[in-house]
Amino acid sequence: MTVLAQISSKIREGAQSGFLLWMMTIDHKRIGILYLLSAAVFFMVGGFEALLMRIQLAQPDSKFLSPDMYNQIFTMHGTTMIFLVVMPLSAGFGNYLIPLMIGARDMTFPKLNALSYWTFLFGGVFMYSSFIFGGAPNDGWFSYAPLTENFYSPTHGMDFWIMGILLLGFATTIGSINFIVTVIQLRAPGLTLTRLPLFVWTMTVTSFLAVFSLPSLTTAVLLLFLDRQLGAHFYNVGQGGSALLWQHLFWFFGHPEVYILILPAMGIVSEVIPVFSGKTLFGYQAVVFSAIAIGFLGFTVWAHHMFATGMPSTTLLFFAADSFLIGVPTGVKIFAWLATMWKGKLRFATPMLFAVGFVAMFLIGGLDGIHLAVVPVDWQLTDTYYVVSHLHYVLFGGAIFGIFAGVYYWFPKITGRRLQEGLGKWHFWLMFIGMNLVFMPMHILGIEGMPRRIYTYGAGRGWEIWNFIETIGALIITVSVLIFVVNFFISLLKKATNEADPWDGFTLEWKTASPPPVYNFAEIPSVRSRRPLWDEKYPDLADWKAGE
Amino acid sequence: MSVLTDVRSMNKFSTGKVALSIILTSESVFFATMLVAYISMRNQAGWPVEHTLVRLTIPLANTAILLFSVVSAWRGTVSIRDGKTSASQGWQMLTLLLGLVFVAVQIYEFRHAGMHITDQTVGGVFFTLMGFHGLHVLAGVVFLIINLARTRLGDYSPTRYEAVELGTWFWYYVTVVWIVLFAALYLL
Repeated sequence: MTVLAQISSKIREGAQSGFLLWMMTIDHKRIGILYLLSAAVFFMVGGFEALLMRIQLAQPDSKFLSPDMYNQIFTMHGTTMIFLVVMPLSAGFGNYLIPLMIGARDMTFPKLNALSYWTFLFGGVFMYSSFIFGGAPNDGWFSYAPLTENFYSPTHGMDFWIMGILLLGFATTIGSINFIVTVIQLRAPGLTLTRLPLFVWTMTVTSFLAVFSLPSLTTAVLLLFLDRQLGAHFYNVGQGGSALLWQHLFWFFGHPEVYILILPAMGIVSEVIPVFSGKTLFGYQAVVFSAIAIGFLGFTVWAHHMFATGMPSTTLLFFAADSFLIGVPTGVKIFAWLATMWKGKLRFATPMLFAVGFVAMFLIGGLDGIHLAVVPVDWQLTDTYYVVSHLHYVLFGGAIFGIFAGVYYWFPKITGRRLQEGLGKWHFWLMFIGMNLVFMPMHILGIEGMPRRIYTYGAGRGWEIWNFIETIGALIITVSVLIFVVNFFISLLKKATNEADPWDGFTLEWKTASPPPVYNFAEIPSVRSRRPLWDEKYPDLADWKAGE
Repeated sequence: MSVLTDVRSMNKFSTGKVALSIILTSESVFFATMLVAYISMRNQAGWPVEHTLVRLTIPLANTAILLFSVVSAWRGTVSIRDGKTSASQGWQMLTLLLGLVFVAVQIYEFRHAGMHITDQTVGGVFFTLMGFHGLHVLAGVVFLIINLARTRLGDYSPTRYEAVELGTWFWYYVTVVWIVLFAALYLL
């Protein structure tokens, strides 16, 4: 044994309990929990930033935040919610659940998994440390060049952003490779691709999207780094560079990114709705193929973010038509969820409330997206609050609602305790009302021409009342999140019931104990249908008897 | 279909090869977007018609070095498969040396390119694309060193040599990227 191996085994012996155990864990469940908790903290931070912005905008000519601070806050809000909240929350669920759902004992590369988590955490902390080193990034989450060049952004904020993005991109890339290889290699006997739980499917598509789109962002920020630090001129138009290059590179990542954010939530909803409807998912193949179609189409529509840059009209037409096409697979999913609920034995527990809330809110956000894909409409609405409304309906009403459905659904598996239903319902309804109060009036403000990212506005444009209502909505969302936090701690302090299968679930994660043992399954299960646990619990009604 | 025949093992592929294939595809997107950056720089008004990347001797020599190293990397894998461990060590050593010569020649080329990264966009393009390829060559060299060391320690056998194969795959990949970049930067 080499010296290095001796030292590492010594440390490992010392790490049987407490802090070091979590620091050094390579168990997919613990890494999943670390991801979920870290992302929850970032969610609080990003939410607090949103609240600061809403307080600033509640009244015209407000002096609550300085213009520069406002820029830093909205940049960090967007960057946080995308890279430090929704992506790691999905990664957390993926880590915890994929091995359990496919009947495996861990991920294929457990150490790589730990590397991915710690890189993400330090990437996030690194980016936030910019606040104490001369100012946070302040050019918006998509950081358009040449605004980000040294001349226009002289603080180190952009450098923190660039290096933070590189770290987070690296973390996501290796995490995604791990997911893909795990799903390809470690499925239990009989778990064919046509029987894979939907969440595993959407996480797999998401991982492919991440692996093939993040390199474009890496290129974009590396070139920016070279411009800023070594004096290259990639985005410097005066020296033969191209400002539009940034937008192409960024959005070639940025649009697949939208689906990286929403597909895992769609997967969660596709798990929750069937269980709480007491039926199999309607149109399983159609839902799977629509996820794959969304993945492919997601790579071909990036320039619809750039309609206002003066592209040739054939290009505009192509990207508009292509963007409409994405409405088709998305519509397939929505109909499949509704048809699953149709004539089902519906149980409206909190996970189901959030899942149904997801379907409704995502539908609104999706339709807004279709509006924005119409080129002349986009020319009118681009960079207004209409866009802010659209993206929050899909990312807050969509991704975050889906993730909360998952939190309520799998909390009993992770902790052995259910979250309290009464507080859960308060959380859902307040969040649902609050979110619509915040984001529905933004449609009106957008049509009235209020630009996004302005730190204040003058009185007398008719914007005051809507902005005030939005701030009230933001406060209601804050209350709902606080209720969730209370619920979280109250439920954790309760005595564990350790129900293995509290919701009468269908998939393999409910087969093992709650919380699952380190090895997940004493015996690797074998699978005969899409609902292996249902088959086991109700042998007379087993799917494989009916189907094959 | 009978239930029993339907229950089967899912492990049909080699984990390392699946993972490396995904990594290399991801890398290809990286280099493709770098080329997109290059092409968009070329299409700007400021791109010099007569730039300094016209001396082909050094890059052609380096192309030959890499192509030869591909053959030796391939022989290194085949020898280990056939149980000729010492021959494999020789081929791996040769590959490693050729890789290091390539890097040395690249450094010479960088110093004598008559350009600086701040020279309009052509300097940025040249040093960035070639530089990131060079970093990949260095990663490949590290891969080769580890494999050579493990071969000497007797870690590989005709039935267990996947790491050598993966290192060779990576080396092939680095060569293919070089040929694409060479064509794009020097010949286009």
